[in-house]
This record gives sequence, structure tokens and C-alpha cells, in this order.
Amino acid sequence: MGALSLGNIGKEYGEARAVDGITLDFPEGQLTALLGPSGCGKTTLLRMIAGLEVPTRGTITMGGRDITRVPAHKRKFGMVFQSFALFPHLSVRDNVAYALTIAGTPRGEAAARADRLLDLVQLAGLGERRIGQLSGGQRQRVAIARALAQEPDVFLLDEPMSALDAKLREEMQVELRLLQQRLGVTTIVVTHDQREAMTMADRIIVMSRGKVEQEGTPQEIYHWPATGFVAGFIGRANFMDGIARDGRIMVGEIALSLPQAARFLDGSPVQLACRPEAIRMGEGGAGANRVQGRVTFVRDLGPVRDFHLETVLGKLVVEHGSDQSTSPKIGETVHLTLPPEALRIYPRLPPQDLSGGVPSALAAE
Amino acid sequence: MTVVGHIRPAADDAPPRPERAALRWRALGLAITLLLWTVVLVLCLVPLALVLVISVGQKVEGAGWEWGFTAENYIRFLVGAQWPAETTFLYLTQLYWSMRYAVVASVIAVVTALPFTYLMTRQSRRAQALWLVFLLATLSLSEVFIVMGWDIILSNNSGLPMLFAASGLTDWLKATGWFDVLRDWGLANPRNVKFKTSEFATVLTMSYLVWPYAVILLYPALSRLDPSLAEAARTMGARPWTVARTVILPAVRLPLLGAVLLLFVFLLGGYVAVTVFADPAKHTTAVSVYEHVRGSTLNAPFGAAQSVILLVTAAVFLVIGHRLSRTSRGGG
Repeated sequence: MGALSLGNIGKEYGEARAVDGITLDFPEGQLTALLGPSGCGKTTLLRMIAGLEVPTRGTITMGGRDITRVPAHKRKFGMVFQSFALFPHLSVRDNVAYALTIAGTPRGEAAARADRLLDLVQLAGLGERRIGQLSGGQRQRVAIARALAQEPDVFLLDEPMSALDAKLREEMQVELRLLQQRLGVTTIVVTHDQREAMTMADRIIVMSRGKVEQEGTPQEIYHWPATGFVAGFIGRANFMDGIARDGRIMVGEIALSLPQAARFLDGSPVQLACRPEAIRMGEGGAGANRVQGRVTFVRDLGPVRDFHLETVLGKLVVEHGSDQSTSPKIGETVHLTLPPEALRIYPRLPPQDLSGGVPSALAAE
Repeated sequence: MTVVGHIRPAADDAPPRPERAALRWRALGLAITLLLWTVVLVLCLVPLALVLVISVGQKVEGAGWEWGFTAENYIRFLVGAQWPAETTFLYLTQLYWSMRYAVVASVIAVVTALPFTYLMTRQSRRAQALWLVFLLATLSLSEVFIVMGWDIILSNNSGLPMLFAASGLTDWLKATGWFDVLRDWGLANPRNVKFKTSEFATVLTMSYLVWPYAVILLYPALSRLDPSLAEAARTMGARPWTVARTVILPAVRLPLLGAVLLLFVFLLGGYVAVTVFADPAKHTTAVSVYEHVRGSTLNAPFGAAQSVILLVTAAVFLVIGHRLSRTSRGGG
């Protein structure tokens, strides 16, 4: 088996560039999430790995063997489709046993294997059912069991949770992750949902416009987003435009200090990002990066409250535990501290290059 | 409460008007329904009833027919006019040929249209639209015109047989032994291949006639087919042919059955292709109907009886098809 590697993979549809020269390694036994907004090329990349699309350029290797031109049916990669793609004319058991049946496995043996797989996905006893008699969650389990039946070298899932309702989705994410860890199969999940990616993945690859923006563990990506796009796409962030000056960053009239500011030449345009939960609110302490803000809106989310504030830095959102005693009302003025170590800084690009859905105040929930 | 109290008096003043208007609409609806039923009655049921009545009537020598209530036309169809002294199955044989041509031609048309239509649905929207427009346009060609075309293509002196002889294909067939096989199938005379007056030519032309219909009948089902079904099968190790056999065919088996049935019923009444290409001994009930109603014998009651039997045959097949599709939908 060995690891799966992509070498400068690209795919063009006429003029449109869906995937733009991606080089990646998928370590054996790990779950990797391909995360990005719709149209970022993640599904095209997955389909090329599955052998359903032929790359325009680049190579795909599996354990050192070039499989770029190997057709899908010879790759032994199991795949779960967004629509599940279950065969409506077959029973649940026959769906799961499909790969075994067409490979010529004796009927009894294939049925026994299918029943074991159904047991694994907690559908024991439903083998006789027709696909039309199953709920969405059950269908997804059948699709997973069916893709695992051939004991795939790589397990691929294309937006596997998108057809499920929110509650079921979270349960299935945990369940799928546990199943994957138990089987130790190299898995690639395509998703546009950052919570899903963070729940399941050993490693997340954030994609935008056919390119890899960042790869890393969920924690790395959340706390050290490599680009403004990633900061906006993973979790929430307050964005501020500024200019580097004397080792600090000027946002409007305010000078903010942060460790990495010195790396930028005087006068270079930068973008700052700060997580809503990283901003401290209240009177206490002196320290750097203190501003005043007026509360304009309070959004109570149960365990936490979001405070929308009008400040000299622009509009900011601050997340605060709802159990804390300081709870300013709308119209009150509060002191805010933006801790230097919580500020992230990125070179500011011309506006059209940041069009990956990053509004200036608060992006992507 | 007070609001209701205000509205009620106003509502009490109003009722006659909306009720009368509603009544007028209902009367109009009733009139339209009646009119539609009259049209259906006059255009469909009355002619059918007339055929039924004529089929049990009696032929008048040298004239038309007269009222009666006799089964002799039906008996003649089943066991011959001389029965019980002598039994012949001439007309049943014709019905057999009707069904045989229709079954073979509709199956050929649907089976060849299936891969074409499948590949068509994988094209771009624009390409699909162009193909459909082209196929619909070919439907405007009359049956006579198409049969004439095939008549020329298959004729011994100017069509394919001539091409076979001139290109040396005939000699090659003779050298390889295929010529004798073709002779056994009735597709060659001692000198050259011949296609005219053969079951082959009849069925070929009939399936050509209905081929565009086959594509149009299969198109909706195939274009609705989720492409990821075939892709899922591929990722599970299915070769293209296995995908077709285990995924695509089962998914469209009902539309396939439906298309074959519809084209079968349509071809059951086929006339022109049979008269031009079929051996007279293998003519069909439809040809016989025409001969009895309009042709030399002028026996309208017998013609009517034959058309009733043709109609019943079609109905029987439709019922069988309906049963089949219901059982396969339920249990298969």
C-alpha cells in the first residue's frame, strides 16, 4: 500500500482552472479533510484521486507506483458520494456486497461479509430492506459499508454529511471518525464545513481557487491561519486593515503592537486578524493594544455571548462566556484589550485577490 | 370580537352576488366537461362501436354489409371459413407474423436506441437539444417515404447487392463460406446477396421507422439517471460492461419494457413496410384488414372482425406489460 501522493496535479475544463498545481502527501492511516468553499476544486481533486477524472497534468502515486492513468475500477479506492449513489434495485445487503459480487466472491461468503459490515455501521438486521425504506442516516451508513466492502487502500468521502440534518451530522462525524481510527484506513474527506473538518481530521488542507492555502492539524490551522483567507474561513475573525510603521501596525490613528510586526517594511499594507474569543473585555490591567468600544448589539448564544462593538479600529465582535459577571449593556462603553500574541498579521493584497468570501468585519461563522 | 361584529353585517349584504358568479362558473365547467365527453364519444367510441357492430354483421354479395349478429367472421379468423369440414389457420398465421415483426422490430429498435440515448444524455445540454431536434424532425418523414428509401437501398439492381457485387464483397463472402450462411437465411440467390422480400428487410425497415420514438421514450429515464450510480460502481471495481449490466440496465428496465410495449403496439398495425418487403405468405393481419375492407374481396364485416382481434391482441400485451412492471416494481 503505502502513502498516496499528488505531484503538481492540475485540471482544466477549457479555460476554467479547477485545480491548479497541487502537491500533497496523504500519510497512511490518517484522515485528511479537504476543506474549502464551493468551487474551490476540492471535489475535482477527490474525483481525480478516485480515478473518475483524468488530470490535465501532474502525477498521482500510491506507495511509489504511478496510478495517474489507472482507471477507477482498478484502483481499489472506496468512495462515498454526496448523493450516496445507492443502487435502488438492490437490497441493502446486495448493495454492500456489490464489490464482492462483481469480483466473483461466492454468494454466501459475500452475504456474510456484507452482514459483518452492516453490523460495523450499526445496521445489523436491515440487510433485507430496500433502499427506499431507509432514512437518510441509514442510507449514509449503507454507503459507508458498501465503500468499505472491498477493503479499500484509500477511503474517499465527498461531502458525506451534506444530506443529513444538523444533529445527525454531528453524531455521524464522531462515529465516522471512530470507525476510521478502528480500521486505520487512509481516508480523505471533502467538506465545506469547518466544524466537520475539525471534528474528524488528523490533518486539514484548506483550499481556495484550485490551490492549497494551508495544511496542518486542526489546532495549527485554527490558531495559526497562514493567510487571511484561512483566518476567515476557519472559525470567525475580526479583520483590520493597517500599515506597518516603526515595528508597529497603524490601524487608523491607533498603533497596535505585535511580535511579527517588525517583519514588515515601513509603509507596507497589512491585514490583522483576531479571534472574537481572544479579545479581552473589561477594566482590568494596563498593557498594550487597549481601545474603547461602544456596545451596539448583544447576541446571546447560551454558553457564550457575542458583543458587537463600535471602536476606533472599526467594528469588532467579542465573544465572552455568559457566566462572567461583566456583562455590558447596549450603549455602554467598555475597555478592550487585543493581546499582541493573539493578533495575526498578513500582507494585504489587492482587493480582488481576497475575494474568497472575506468581509472586512467578521467572516464565516 | 368587535372586529367580527363589524364585518358581519357587510357580509350579510353581499351573499347573492358571489354565489351567483360561482354558480355560473360551475355551469360553464359542466358545459366544457360535457363538450369534451361528446368529442371523445364521437371521435373514439362511436367508430369503435361501429367496427364492433360491423364485425358481427353479414356481408352482402357485391354490395356492403347488413346488420346481423353472427360469430362467423371470428370463427373464420380462428379456424377458416370451411370449418368444421376443413380447418385452416391462414388468418392466425397472419396474426403470428404481425406479432413476430412487431416484437422483433421493437426490440431491435429499443436495444439499439439504448446505448445511443445513454451516450446522448452524457453530452452537453446543447448537444442533447440538437440531437432531440434532429430526431423529432425525422419523425416528419412519412412512412411511405422511408419505405421507398429502403426499397432503393435494398433493391437488387441498384442498391446494396449491386454495391456488394461491384466492391468484391460478394466474392469475399463466397470465398469465406458466409455466402452459404446468407443463402440459408434467405438473404442470397445463387449469384448475389438479395435483401428484398425478406423478413430481414421488413424488420429492419420497421425498426428504423420507430427508432426515433425509441430514443425519445428512453431519453427521460436515462437523463434522470444519477451519474454517480455508474461512478460508484466503477470505484467498486466494475468494468464499463459490468456497470451497464448491473447498474444502468436494472435502473431503466421499466422504461425499457414500456418503450418496447408501446412500439410493439404501434408496429402491430404496420402496413407499408410489410407490403413492400415481406413475402406474401408472411403478410400480416393489418394487410389482410386492408384487403378485405378496401381491396378486392370487399368484405367489411370480416375486415372489422380482424381489426377487433388486432385491437384485443394489443390490449392483452399492454395488460401483460402492466402486470410485469407492477410485479418488478414491487418485488424485483
